[in-house]
Amino acid sequence: MHLLEKLQILADSAKYDVSCSSSGSGRGGKKGQLGNAAIAGICHSWSDDGRCISLLKVLFTNYCIYDCKYCVNRVTNDIKRASFTPDELCELTVEFYRRNYIEGLFLSSAVLKSPDYTMELIISTLRKLRYEHKFNGYIHVKSIPGADLNLIYQAGLLADRMSINIELPSVESLKLLAPQKDHQSIIKPMSFVSEQIRGTNELTIYRKKQMFVPAGQTTQLIVGASRDSDLTILRLTQELYSRYKLKRVYYSAYVPVNNDKNLPAVYTSPPLLREHRIYQADWLLRFYGFSADELLDEKHSSFDTKIDPKCDWALRNLDKFPVEINRAPLETLLRVPGIGYKMAQRIVRARRITPLSYEDLKKMRVVLKRAKYFITCKGAYYGDVDIDSGNLYSLLSEKTDPKIIEGQISMFD
Amino acid sequence: MIYVTDGSFEGILTAIFDAYVNKEDPESIVSLGLYQVSLDSAAREISTDEEKSRRVYNAVIRKMSQQAIETMYKAWLSEYREIGTALYKYIKIGLKLGPQILSYLQNPDVSLVSGLADKVTFEAHRFLGILRFKKLTNGLYYAKIEPDNNITMLIAEHFEKRFSDQPWIIHDAKRNIFALYDTNQVIFINEDIRIDTDNDKDIIFEELWKNYFRAISIEDRRNPRLQKRYLPRRYWRNLTEMH
Repeated sequence: MHLLEKLQILADSAKYDVSCSSSGSGRGGKKGQLGNAAIAGICHSWSDDGRCISLLKVLFTNYCIYDCKYCVNRVTNDIKRASFTPDELCELTVEFYRRNYIEGLFLSSAVLKSPDYTMELIISTLRKLRYEHKFNGYIHVKSIPGADLNLIYQAGLLADRMSINIELPSVESLKLLAPQKDHQSIIKPMSFVSEQIRGTNELTIYRKKQMFVPAGQTTQLIVGASRDSDLTILRLTQELYSRYKLKRVYYSAYVPVNNDKNLPAVYTSPPLLREHRIYQADWLLRFYGFSADELLDEKHSSFDTKIDPKCDWALRNLDKFPVEINRAPLETLLRVPGIGYKMAQRIVRARRITPLSYEDLKKMRVVLKRAKYFITCKGAYYGDVDIDSGNLYSLLSEKTDPKIIEGQISMFD
Repeated sequence: MIYVTDGSFEGILTAIFDAYVNKEDPESIVSLGLYQVSLDSAAREISTDEEKSRRVYNAVIRKMSQQAIETMYKAWLSEYREIGTALYKYIKIGLKLGPQILSYLQNPDVSLVSGLADKVTFEAHRFLGILRFKKLTNGLYYAKIEPDNNITMLIAEHFEKRFSDQPWIIHDAKRNIFALYDTNQVIFINEDIRIDTDNDKDIIFEELWKNYFRAISIEDRRNPRLQKRYLPRRYWRNLTEMH
């Protein structure tokens, strides 16, 4: 098969993995060798679905022994199949990299013959890249569920980032839709990798630096293939960040690719707005000091479609507002709808020099459309309606076309 | 009084030095190319002086911070028409306020310079990703860029580190600025040089990349408006995957 056709098949099969980030690794380059990693990550292009392209994201193979119901590559699907050789993958990565098309390689795979066999193919590709081609660019590698932990360890020594996709947010949906995978085969390698990362970091203090997954571990959850609520997803996310120290959890709005009585029908459009809300909430967990149970609860287990999760929270906690822009501590400013992380920091620094008026905030390019209802400046309130008038929900509702959603925000990584 | 400079960063710093030495407060510092003779104000021509500009440069670092001079330099790279006057006002405030100037964004003069610098930083970062090399017949890697801001100086170091074993040229076709790297060092040239930009046989990798670019998009999520927001149309001309 021609390389062009292989690439098409194996990129097409990899595209439902939404992670695109190339951040978190400071792998240095060496004179006379190829490449390095940029700690903040770099986007190289955007495809016409508006998603960032940073890495060459392909499967090693899409031949699969598994029959996961949600997956386009399931063994019972009649689709074109292909496999790369390690040399083909190295050549593609290096030639793309030298032309500055990509930051590096994101290598995943369906399960060919067995998890161990597949993992070994992946490792031999990464070895060639790192040692024969002297490639120091970014590598994100998937751990294959069920692969031997020793193989996962070897891959971790070569990669910058590793991920293992949980995909289905609860044990019940996993049983229903991926009966051949079990929860343990995902959690075990995840917790192994997280322990190894911690262990390596402790060792490096008094030993020569050995890198093991320096950019950390990530995972992906599918939104809308199962009946799991936003609350279930967000609680799981919170646990993944606190217990397994994941760097990112990605969410993928389910694109129906298969017919099954337990799945949304093919031609159902993917729940993009729901995915977007969960991303917003994820940001609130990681950078804004919120917890899952503040944002959602049993009575209120899914996000509002019209307003973002922070606005939603603020409207249910109006007794905490308005806050005085000149006195509120950073963590309080971060909870004001419309004030982002960067602006909150700007405000805190600027008010040390002179007290801030409403006009000052405008000059600082703070977006006040939503924030004006939740703040006072030197004691004065600038919202055009009163905070407890009951009109805020309709004023804050997004009237925009839900198609023009933000997508993944790429500011932090 | 209007000060007229050659428009260079050093020229502007020289003008600021002269303003302080002459105990004058010029109403504007303009570049010769943009200067229109006015009947209302007298003009003084400033000749760029390395020593004077260096003294202002060091004073900014000493009294404000390294970051302040970097902010000023980046703002200058934006080629904003009134950058001379803007930098002069920035320094006047900074000499009173010290290092806090970086946070004093409620002041419109500070906010202007800081905003210009942010814009330049943002575009420079964007070009680390969207610059494309072609491999030429002679083995050189050649990239043509047409950025809004004069960012070649800012991005060259990144490519020097990343592609230390490959000779490359970055060509700002808008300004005729070249960064040339011979696997040893980068030099910058600001004059016309002719480059034969024929691709070598490796053009197959351009085809593979275009193919990949199309294959990776999810049809059910098609959203060209979002794509254009991240990657404005004006940048598409020099992007391999857009042709």
